Amino acid sequence: MLVVRPSNFVDLTSIERLLNATDARVTTLPKDRDKLSEKIGQSDDAFKSGVDQEGPASFLFVLEDTDNQTLMGTSGIDTEAGGGYPFFNYRMDAVVHASHHLDVSSKVPVLFLSHELTGKTLLRSFSIDPEHKNSEAFDLLSRARLLFMACLPERFHREVIIEIQGIFDDKGDCPFWDAVGRHFFGIDFNTADYYCSVKSKTFMSELIPQHPIYVPLLPEVAQGNIGQNHEAANRACQLFYREGFSKTVFIDPFDGGPVLTGELNNLFTLKQVRHKKARPSDVVGGLKYLISNRSLSDFRCTIGTLVDGIGETIRIPENVAEALNVKEGDPIAYAPL
Amino acid sequence: MYIRPVAPTDIDALCTMAKNSGVGVTTLPDNRQKMQAKLDKAVASFNKELPEKDRLYLFAMIDPATDEIAGICALEASIGHDDIWYNYHIGKTVHASKDIGVHKITKTLYLSNDLTGSSEICTLFLMPDFRQNQNGQLLSKSRYLFLAEFQELFGRDIIAEMRGFSDEAGRSPVWESLGRHFFQMEFSDADYLTGLGNKAFIAELMPKFPIYVPMLSKDAQEAIGKVHPDTEPALSMLKAEGFDFNGYVDIFDGGPTVSARVTNVRAVKDSQLYTVAVQDDTPAPDLTRKDGLSLVSNRQFENYRVSLINTAAIDGTTLHLSTAQARNLQVAAGDSVRAVALRPRRPSDD
Repeated sequence: MLVVRPSNFVDLTSIERLLNATDARVTTLPKDRDKLSEKIGQSDDAFKSGVDQEGPASFLFVLEDTDNQTLMGTSGIDTEAGGGYPFFNYRMDAVVHASHHLDVSSKVPVLFLSHELTGKTLLRSFSIDPEHKNSEAFDLLSRARLLFMACLPERFHREVIIEIQGIFDDKGDCPFWDAVGRHFFGIDFNTADYYCSVKSKTFMSELIPQHPIYVPLLPEVAQGNIGQNHEAANRACQLFYREGFSKTVFIDPFDGGPVLTGELNNLFTLKQVRHKKARPSDVVGGLKYLISNRSLSDFRCTIGTLVDGIGETIRIPENVAEALNVKEGDPIAYAPL
Repeated sequence: MYIRPVAPTDIDALCTMAKNSGVGVTTLPDNRQKMQAKLDKAVASFNKELPEKDRLYLFAMIDPATDEIAGICALEASIGHDDIWYNYHIGKTVHASKDIGVHKITKTLYLSNDLTGSSEICTLFLMPDFRQNQNGQLLSKSRYLFLAEFQELFGRDIIAEMRGFSDEAGRSPVWESLGRHFFQMEFSDADYLTGLGNKAFIAELMPKFPIYVPMLSKDAQEAIGKVHPDTEPALSMLKAEGFDFNGYVDIFDGGPTVSARVTNVRAVKDSQLYTVAVQDDTPAPDLTRKDGLSLVSNRQFENYRVSLINTAAIDGTTLHLSTAQARNLQVAAGDSVRAVALRPRRPSDD
């Protein structure tokens, strides 16, 4: 059975193996054992902290096949983008250069460095075993985070953002990076990406160009890639659009990929979610739902069938109850798959 | 040949000259109405009818044999005074991170009005038939003796804008890579409009944020601060007089601005006063030679004159002139004149 649960230190080697197998890069999960261990530690603290905990926290989930204890993916939430540091983006804006006298008017797109998204809730660290990237496991792993937030909404910002992977080629060359960041960082895209996950964040503030950038001065390929996602992120984009996320004027400062935003309470999962008491039952059938317990430190989420109805309780399959560690009368949350 | 202030009757000759100057001499518009305005301004300046900062001193080179105008040159008393003077300043942005071992210096263009208030030498144009016999040198350097004489009318610094690099087709790489995106017009059109004194459009259309040079095309990067091949000799002449690149370039073609403190210009600093003696056996200047020549001015304002003499005609504090030379300079025996060697002494002369 596929279950999403908090990560723990035992998962370390499995996550490493997973990161080496995935094709899309995962900037927020470093391929560096010490840093990865640090991330898991931070997540551990976050899950163990109380509901009334304040300040930035970082939750890291894993997707496990409980039948054979295989780890199949990761996903995460930062309660505050930037985690207390500036969170960098470019804001795509425009300036109009017009002369009435000369009958010339051009609206020139300009990229402005921005910290505007700092402090909003950030979905991140998504990676999934390539074998499962086209299955419902993908939806489970991604949306489990939304059910988690539904159980603990006061812990998150009302606006949720996601940075979508921008365009780079098979060799790891990224036209947007080559046109912008490379001039100032003096390193190639992969190296920059690596540093981003393993170095302190100050290097970003030190190196990123502060002056606005006139888009027409960039090579055409780089211009065309602004706000465009890598094809490997198509499925993720579709999922987020269905949830009610939309593109913003913000882009990733490294690869130019789009930043999506959604209002937490208006996301499909949060609008559809039901909170009821579990009644484990051998009755099967009904429609597929994402079902989770409502524990913070021992959060579990899986896919199961149920028949929604009125009343305080809801029947769920016994194997689901077992996977979620819930007994008769325990609170659960569920939303349509 | 001698230099004098322009006169109202010069209008036709000036228009002919503008027609011949072509793209690149932005201060010489091929437009009669504008040229008339320019001439009127110059005449008013020499008549002291304009405030000092508004003045434009326009000089003509005259062939005494025909009274024909062979060339013109000008001194702008104070740039950016009645309009806005724009340059890009080539600055640096440094990005460094000890953490990842990066230290990058990025050339950055900053739009500036920094040169406002400087004086400018400009509008130099010599008719092709007269490009010989040191005429170019005389025309260009005649202005330094005016500066030396009337320093209080000029700024602390004197600048010259050099025509920027463009290829055989007249294509400016800096314009193609930068200005074109904002102006939506050809370089020659933008250039023409500036020449007409239509500066407002620059403010309206020019990018206001700093420009990172590495984001421009390779050939544009190379052309920044580079002069047009035809302008190389003029640049060498200015450098020999003590001018140097000051880090400012033209916002359209990236051509360099060179500048000097007025008091440090060789022909200003080294010029001296002499008393005129008129005698007809005065040695004539050999205009086919580069050395042995001196510039002489009559030190007058509205009737300013400059011409070339043989340096051998200078004896102590006396400067000998032939009757014809004295007539061209409008001086008589006993008058005071200012003179300086046409060219700086070369190290090999010592």
